[in-house]
Amino acid sequence: MTVVAQESGTLEAIQRPKSVFQRNVNLVRELSITSFKLKYTGSALGYVWSLIKPLMLFGIMFLVFSILLRVGKGDTDFPVQLLIAIVAWTFFTEATATAMNAVAGNGDLIRKAYFPRWILVVASTTSALLTFAINTTLVLVVTFALGDLHLTLRSLFVPLFYLELIVLVLGLSLLLSSLFVFFRDLGHIWEIVSLVLFYGSGVVFPFMLIKSQTLLDLAGLNPVAQIIQDLRYSLVVSSPLNHSMVSLIGALEVVPIMLSVTLFGVGFLVFNKLTPKFAESL
Amino acid sequence: MNPVVEVSHLRKRFRLPLDKSNTLKYRVTHLRSSSRYRDLVALNDVSFDIPSGQFLGIAGPNGCGKSTLLKILCRIYKADSGYARVNGEFSAFLELGVGFNPELTARENIFLGGAMLGLTRAQLRDKVDEVLAFAELEEFAEQKLKNFSSGMQVRLAFSVAILGQTDLLVMDEVLAVGDASFQEKCFDTFNRYKREGKTIVLVSHNLGSLEEYCDRVLLLNQGAIVADGPAAEVIPTYHRMVADHALAVERDLPVELSRADPRRSPAVGFVSVGLLNGSGQNTRRFDTGSEMTLDMNLQVHRTVGDFVCGVAIRRADGLLLSGTNTLLDNVTISGLLAGDTVSVRYTIDSLPLLAGGYLVQVSVHDVGGSDIYDWIDPAATFHINDLGDGHQGLIELRGRWQVDETEDVLVRSARQ
Repeated sequence: MTVVAQESGTLEAIQRPKSVFQRNVNLVRELSITSFKLKYTGSALGYVWSLIKPLMLFGIMFLVFSILLRVGKGDTDFPVQLLIAIVAWTFFTEATATAMNAVAGNGDLIRKAYFPRWILVVASTTSALLTFAINTTLVLVVTFALGDLHLTLRSLFVPLFYLELIVLVLGLSLLLSSLFVFFRDLGHIWEIVSLVLFYGSGVVFPFMLIKSQTLLDLAGLNPVAQIIQDLRYSLVVSSPLNHSMVSLIGALEVVPIMLSVTLFGVGFLVFNKLTPKFAESL
Repeated sequence: MNPVVEVSHLRKRFRLPLDKSNTLKYRVTHLRSSSRYRDLVALNDVSFDIPSGQFLGIAGPNGCGKSTLLKILCRIYKADSGYARVNGEFSAFLELGVGFNPELTARENIFLGGAMLGLTRAQLRDKVDEVLAFAELEEFAEQKLKNFSSGMQVRLAFSVAILGQTDLLVMDEVLAVGDASFQEKCFDTFNRYKREGKTIVLVSHNLGSLEEYCDRVLLLNQGAIVADGPAAEVIPTYHRMVADHALAVERDLPVELSRADPRRSPAVGFVSVGLLNGSGQNTRRFDTGSEMTLDMNLQVHRTVGDFVCGVAIRRADGLLLSGTNTLLDNVTISGLLAGDTVSVRYTIDSLPLLAGGYLVQVSVHDVGGSDIYDWIDPAATFHINDLGDGHQGLIELRGRWQVDETEDVLVRSARQ
């Protein structure tokens, strides 16, 4: 064995990995872990908050809609449906709201260092995804243990719906984060759109309660509604108030799915188009 | 062999909006006035190559396009036309510690900063202790960055920045901070890079370091290359340009306050820096031989021990003419409590400077010199009037002439 004496006061450089993909994946990982960690440091309960928040929302919505307004009556499994929907919704809204600032809030990095800019958006989404993955796992394990889940062959589609949710969130994040650099009003606009989506997607009530077929068709075109309804249908026992989106809006189901994919494509194109202007505009 | 850097017909123009137009309300209410822009040509048809192993300096007055060129090289800005191509890996030192997070520990920041350079966690894991040792921060590995002094932060940032194996090193003059022993380490590193035949681009105001290190200097002015060649040939051109440029300072341009690190709130910070003439009036114009007082007001934000206030006077191009501080002149500024204010005055009875534009740089730091509390460069600019008396150069040495004429009595009487 040879021992190479370290010349004092020098630091040998490291050869970067050849694969740019590997570097980018690593940077996404470091950035998302950092923001995940930072989000919860300094508070006594730390990560638990990201679980408490959807649970509180669930509690309040359950109280208001199920107990006071008796919205889900006749549907004994409605609480589980509500819980699954709220966890998915929380991911959607937090991920898009955080992503909004992923470019604009990192002006320092963008003006002073080179790296593919989409990494900032993907890292922001990944960080939200981390919370979402933990919450979903917890909710699914607990509800399964309590016997509230109804796992059948149709449950095999569940990963696909989660995937669709991620594609939708990523597409919107790319779109929102790049546009926000130039139109700061977007932050407020998106808050309002989110509120409309929250009620328009039947997060807190069974989708079947929409009586008019026209309204149902219209609301069903929105990918958030479709994803949430299909998740409920795939995981919880079907009832008069819990149907698959296909049975509600028929062939129109293609639209929300296509819309998710299209939004991703549009987000990607818009982001790429605007990328060269980031450094100068921030 | 291919040049490491190829720059061809590079053009870059910035459109500076005259109004803040990124809100919806503005867009709606000013539909027709979308053309309220001022164009600023930052680079105008710049072309050059850098062969492998060359140490290239880029010089030029403020606003000449140096930074824009650097940012295009580093792919931060996109050129309007033309291209800048780097063949190989590059490391950019535009600012140290980009991507660092003050809430993370030194160790975590090494992983984060390393990832910004393209290095993976697995590669860095074996290297962390070595980096900490090089930065002389072994004992602080688990401390949060926000608790570090600025000197410690710079050391860590520099140590991470040099980690990436690279073919081209692009540097802005960022390294003039930190304590002396660390500066030495920085220069050792750069000398090593130079010995190893790395290609280096250095942007600097400091003619001394350009002359010392660079094989070739590019002089930029108003977005174009005005001189290109060995340092010894280009620097006189630069001097001439600066002399012309110094006249611009005469127009009493607003002083640009550039702080060492705006993110840190200093323990002691400058509130105002003014220049007074012999009658105590604020002015920016002085005559050679007149009295000048630098009037500095400081605010103590955090309780501190004894500290030192420093003053430097530079020529408009950055050449240091004189620098001193309270410690060197045996003046004590004793420790103060948060909330106290201090007035420090530095008076030059008779200015020895000749006509031209000058800059004043001020700083406050601890007695050891490792903690820079505040640093403003330039804090003020002033101009020495041209009295038209024909004196040449930078300073009036106030030498005395003495002429002794001895009459040769014999010759004189013979002529008569």
